[in-house]
Amino acid sequence: MLEIEALGARAGGFRLAGVSLTVEPGECHAVLGPSGSGKSTLLAAVLGTLPVVEGRVRLAGQDITRLPVERRHLGYVPQHLGLFPHLSVADNLSYSARARRIAETEYRPLLDRLTEITGIGALLHRRIGTLSGGERQRVALVRALAANPRLVLLDEPFTALNASLRRELWALLKDLQRERGLTVMIVTHDLTEAYVLADHITVLIDGRQEQSGDKRTVFRRPASLAVAHFLGLKNLFPATVTATGEGQIEADVPGLGARVRLPGEAPVGMAIHVGIRPEDVALRDDAHPPRPGEWVVRGRARLIDLGADALLQVEPCTGGPRVELTASWRTLHRFGLGQERTEVTIALPEAEMFWVGGPAPAAEPGQGPIAPWTRGGE
Amino acid sequence: MRGMRASIGAALAVLALYGGLIASLFWFFDGGVFLGTLFSERTLFSVRLSLLAATAATVAALLLAIPAAYALSRHRFPGREAAETVLELPLIVSPAALGAIILIFFNNPVGEWIQENVTYFVFGFAGIVLAQFVTVLGVAVRMLEAAFDQVPVELETVARTLGASPRHAFFTITLPLAWRGLVAAFILTWAKALGEFGATLMVAGSMAMRTETLPIAIFMRLSSADIKGTVVLILILVAIGLAALFAARRILGRAAHA
Repeated sequence: MLEIEALGARAGGFRLAGVSLTVEPGECHAVLGPSGSGKSTLLAAVLGTLPVVEGRVRLAGQDITRLPVERRHLGYVPQHLGLFPHLSVADNLSYSARARRIAETEYRPLLDRLTEITGIGALLHRRIGTLSGGERQRVALVRALAANPRLVLLDEPFTALNASLRRELWALLKDLQRERGLTVMIVTHDLTEAYVLADHITVLIDGRQEQSGDKRTVFRRPASLAVAHFLGLKNLFPATVTATGEGQIEADVPGLGARVRLPGEAPVGMAIHVGIRPEDVALRDDAHPPRPGEWVVRGRARLIDLGADALLQVEPCTGGPRVELTASWRTLHRFGLGQERTEVTIALPEAEMFWVGGPAPAAEPGQGPIAPWTRGGE
Repeated sequence: MRGMRASIGAALAVLALYGGLIASLFWFFDGGVFLGTLFSERTLFSVRLSLLAATAATVAALLLAIPAAYALSRHRFPGREAAETVLELPLIVSPAALGAIILIFFNNPVGEWIQENVTYFVFGFAGIVLAQFVTVLGVAVRMLEAAFDQVPVELETVARTLGASPRHAFFTITLPLAWRGLVAAFILTWAKALGEFGATLMVAGSMAMRTETLPIAIFMRLSSADIKGTVVLILILVAIGLAALFAARRILGRAAHA
């Protein structure tokens, strides 16, 4: 549906370069990145409010790179919703039909259906200023969809809402997407929102496209150190490639005192970071012994209550960097944990590890020699 | 508390200064002269000429100022900074100097050609309108730019994604949302044009029953030592000006609370 090819755009002194991505019909694609990463610049280039300096934007096979905004047939819900305050809800919803001079008989059925799904029927004669936050979101969404757009662009539209309302609107958007077969591109810095809503994710950092792909791949296998940092991953250990071949690399991880084999290719001697997500780190004890392919160590854990889950920050007894893991309270109780500080055995499954290219590992000041971790099943 | 009292005192002192100056006019107030001057043919001509010229100058200024202010509010383009700076010209150059610039312009070949082939400006009604137009244009653009700045660009973008052309978005979204600012700009620009003196004197001169706007009439009456007649004309000008400013304040006040 939407194809962006090597797109470059400038906004003031900021430059976005080399962005290529495809949004398939009926899918939701999230553009994720921190503030100032170029998300809004990319959105403005697709919208047509910012000139594209290089590359192309195609929508349903049509080159829209130089097409005026009003001829792109896009639905757009900006961060502040852009509801017209001098018009009633009904006039906001029918604005597109009036601007395009579409007869009421043509647009009314779709508008009525959208009004029914979103439950805003009772609001039609209200002024925008009298609506609550959630009501405004629904009206903005219906207005964008009532124009029957080819692609819906959402620019952090749920940011200002409380958690419960946000979850409710995520579900509504998913329902609308399913029923109407909507193709959606959403710009957000919220990792949970991107994961819940999107099928595919593109990560932008400092005006560069760092990664694009299936959401699970992006979250579980970040393509660069910058993406891993943006995803909030703390378990990143400097390493050096010691061997390569047959689609695998062998890397020396001094921080873990381990040598791991991971999928991928990289030249011998290359500095990398080996990482693992906190939910992939496992707790072990006599009843749950280490399994083959796991790197195991004992350490002192500090427990941080996250509500439904807990975060354990484990300082290995062997020395070396701290390892973080998240687990449910039920799991922690199964391992007899629950105190603020306690000693635990943790295991890092090699199969769940990933690696990203990164700078050469720097020796941490005051860090003594690290005893090697043990390998499960050996 | 002491600071608050001092600032309130300063505000009341400002009121007392202007109020006192206006009240002092009544020392020379004469009911008979007032009615005689107010309904004299010459005064009525001055009032009519002033209202007509100020309205024409304001309409002309707004016709140019609306698109100019919109461009300055919405777009970044080469020469934008220079245009913004030039808008301050009427504030830093005295109206008399502006009028002299216009007069000198009509003495160069281009100006002479315009006078011969378009319309005659110097010492005529067109000259009064032009002098007022040049004096108030910068203020009009500034006020309108501020009015357009109050309307988020995002609304126009949304309107365009909904199928509106830039023109349709301007007339259905931007203009209705900026209308209070536009009306206030019209009234204040008109009041400034009404009171314009220096540039008008330079371009149109001071000819009784011809280029005698209210400020020019005040100048002429005072020059002939007719204090009581001058007071009447000042009171008329002040009344019209204050009514316009009062209307602008009401509109701006409502806009602020809308």
